[in-house]
Amino acid sequence: MPPKPHRILLDRVSGYADEAAAYVRRRRISRRPFARLYYSGGRASDHAADSTAGGELFVAAGRLIELAGKRQRR
Amino acid sequence: MRGQATRAGILAEMTDGEASGVAGPVQTPAEAVLALLAELSPDLRGAAILAGDGTTLAASGEQERWREDAAALLTIADGAGDGQVEQVHIATEQGEVFAVRHAGLAVVAVTDRFALASLLFFDMRSILRELAAGDGGGDAA
Repeated sequence: MPPKPHRILLDRVSGYADEAAAYVRRRRISRRPFARLYYSGGRASDHAADSTAGGELFVAAGRLIELAGKRQRR
Repeated sequence: MRGQATRAGILAEMTDGEASGVAGPVQTPAEAVLALLAELSPDLRGAAILAGDGTTLAASGEQERWREDAAALLTIADGAGDGQVEQVHIATEQGEVFAVRHAGLAVVAVTDRFALASLLFFDMRSILRELAAGDGGGDAA
């Protein structure tokens, strides 16, 4: 007996959700720190942490993160 | 006797803020839009709005430290490439830092990791636009 149409739809949707969850998990594990600057006209530039500018940007960002502290759970 | 005080009498004893139902000190436009940003962005840990001359219009903590650290970040970002940056996004293991410039104003925000960058940039730009349209105090550079 062929499966009911709604079962096919549910399987497909949960398949997409599983794929998305796996993608987010991989992204969280593999994502490395980055510093990205955007300019007018849509230009953007990445700065590696081991470059001079990148290192300075990470230090400045670290100060701000320390200043902001931990988020108050609402 | 307090128990027999009339409504008009009680209102006369109250300050303007209490009488109008406003709790606490009156917010500046910059503080109001910063509060709106905090409401829109659940990942937000702290933020500050700077005027064109570098002064802090509003901040979620120590204004002086926010002014120094946010100005330092923008200065380094401007020196890192060619020209003035419009947006900054730095992601670290401890959190993420975003900055947006618009109409001579700048907003710098710190969030948890993996915040939705495009949404946050949109919200940050929106509040700056709103502030610039009112009397934000920025000298539109």
